[in-house]
Amino acid sequence: MLNKRNIIDIIYQVITYLAASVGVIALSMIIFFVFSNGLKLLNFGLLVNDYHAEFYNGGIDDPIFTFSHRPISLDDKVFYSQKWGIGLVDSKDREGNPIIIIEYISGDSPLLEIYDKNNEESKEIIGIDKGFLVSKISYYDKNTSLTMYGAESMINDIESTNEIREIVFSSLGGGIRGSIITTLYLISITIIIALPIGISTAIYLNEFSSKNRLTSLLRSLIETLTGVPSIIFGLLGLAVFVPLTIRFSEATSANIVSGSLTLSVILLPIIIKSTEESLKVVPDSFRSASLALGANHTQTTLKVVLPSAFPGIMTGTLLAIGRIIGESAALIFAIGTAVKDDISIFGKSTTLSVHIWSLMKDEPANIELASTIAIVILLIVLTLNIIVKLISKRFIKEF
Amino acid sequence: MSTITRILNRYKNRRTYNKKEFVDKIVRVIFMMSTILSASFIIIIIIFISLKGLTPFVTSNSGIGSVNIISFLTGNVWLTGTAFQSSLYSIGFIIVNTLFIAFLSLLISMPVGVLTALFIAKIASRRISEFLRIVVELLASIPSIVYGLFGSGVILIFVYNLAEAFGIQSRGGNSVLATVLVLALMTLPTITAISEVSIRSVNKDIEQGSLALGATRTQTNFKVILMSAKSGIFASAILGIGRALGEATAVSLVAGNSKSGPSLGVFDITSTLTSTMLEGLKETTGIDYDIRFSVGLVLMVVILLTNLILNYIKKKVGSIDVK
Repeated sequence: MLNKRNIIDIIYQVITYLAASVGVIALSMIIFFVFSNGLKLLNFGLLVNDYHAEFYNGGIDDPIFTFSHRPISLDDKVFYSQKWGIGLVDSKDREGNPIIIIEYISGDSPLLEIYDKNNEESKEIIGIDKGFLVSKISYYDKNTSLTMYGAESMINDIESTNEIREIVFSSLGGGIRGSIITTLYLISITIIIALPIGISTAIYLNEFSSKNRLTSLLRSLIETLTGVPSIIFGLLGLAVFVPLTIRFSEATSANIVSGSLTLSVILLPIIIKSTEESLKVVPDSFRSASLALGANHTQTTLKVVLPSAFPGIMTGTLLAIGRIIGESAALIFAIGTAVKDDISIFGKSTTLSVHIWSLMKDEPANIELASTIAIVILLIVLTLNIIVKLISKRFIKEF
Repeated sequence: MSTITRILNRYKNRRTYNKKEFVDKIVRVIFMMSTILSASFIIIIIIFISLKGLTPFVTSNSGIGSVNIISFLTGNVWLTGTAFQSSLYSIGFIIVNTLFIAFLSLLISMPVGVLTALFIAKIASRRISEFLRIVVELLASIPSIVYGLFGSGVILIFVYNLAEAFGIQSRGGNSVLATVLVLALMTLPTITAISEVSIRSVNKDIEQGSLALGATRTQTNFKVILMSAKSGIFASAILGIGRALGEATAVSLVAGNSKSGPSLGVFDITSTLTSTMLEGLKETTGIDYDIRFSVGLVLMVVILLTNLILNYIKKKVGSIDVK
């Protein structure tokens, strides 16, 4: 029979089980949400495309028609014009508006000779390619065909004409290539700056320093950095590193280098800590043996202790990379929120995380694209975490 | 650099010139300098943010007039200076909002986190606790912007529907409640991980003593183990509240950015110190730009004071030990 104590026990137990399940539920909800929203946009094109669509007003004179046949491989949904050698398909953009995409263009299509109408004199050929959007084609002898009438009507229109007055088309846009490249730049520059400083600090603290008040002061100053919220580091970047880079380079605003410098400060405690942890694990017998063989302190540290601590440095670096990819608050200040396609290290651009933030701050928020970027971030960060786990597991076994 | 010359001189004067020792000294100095550099950043942060943050209070801010520091810290309306041509910035209500939200989020994440830790450390089988530990680690590694995305995609809708069920029209779900939920989720892994360590390190004798006296497993867990681990649990709360106070991007996506307050109703829009700093980033000069640093300065002071107070309480609480 259940007495009062048992009932209370069971209630407590149920509460504990419920609490323990919260974390699991939250994690699966986050992953489900991000993947269900972002997966449909995730493809290779998104990763390599420009973010800003480029619009062209194309003109074409004296077209030479091709009459090349419809390729068999073409999907049934594609409408094909034999005369112009082009296949169009109906699709929808991220906001759900209808668009017409060029699905196929034959090698001898007259449309490949399109020149830029905005630049009438030079008649520079801009070329049209698979994947572009066609928004409007106007003629001399009949009504303009528009996106809203669909791909079939557009194909019928151009099939029955011999002259095109103007064709308005654009690249797809919405890609995240720029943000990916910025993130990669940021990772490499930050690691190049932070790793040497972090490692030598850890070596000093663990191998060279004597136990005095100065050392403990330095140590506590570095430890204080860990407690500073990242937005404050952003202010540091804004107040110190952005003016510094503007002063000594061609930069005119927040840029990748100022972002890297800011991130280096954030990462220093992480790198110092993990390097020091791994230096501590190196057995003292290694040091004694090396010193006994006549090596000096420097040789012992650099050639014996440091190589043994390599896995720790590796985990520190990987954790640091994860932090760089995920960091947003500091970078909003230190690198800016402008999404760019042409990346230079002293120019404006933004990272994947900040890209998500600016997409979500827009009206209306673009949750789909933001989730797609979040998938990319999550995959990288979670993989890094797993690698770190594996490395530290092997590392523990070694000693 | 004088250290190097001093060492050089010393070695020049010596008859037996030991190259290896000399290299040691040089290397030591290089490593020490990088240590000093690493340690100096916190000082640079404090100096620069104080300098920039105090500017709006002492200069005339190009004709608008200097900001009154007392009304800045106590007032309840935030007006962007250049738009309203006023120096009436006040963040009194924002400080209250920030502390209120951090406190509420801790109120949710503390029990959940500590109980999860208890479950992992004492109740679950080895395989389940291993699994839960991985879950907690993954939650901890998810970047805050993804929490923000989740918050605005899921929690906002949930809060909006909840408010509607109560007959309240919330502004798209942006509210105190949404912010609290996002922050609770974000502080959960920190609290769980640290509490787990402290629960695990509770002396086995105390636990077995309790069991031997006839207490049930559950009674032991709740009344003995949690009590003995409370110092570590308190430490996890301090870290959790630090994260809740300093979190920026996720909060800025769900808070709703109110300009007056304080907002104490759960469905009211709100704003925190961090979300205020992220508002209107287009400004690059003038008082709207400088005032960010003032808010940052206040944020640092708030975090520091909260930490000091909590550490003081921790010392008081921790000294009473369960024997």
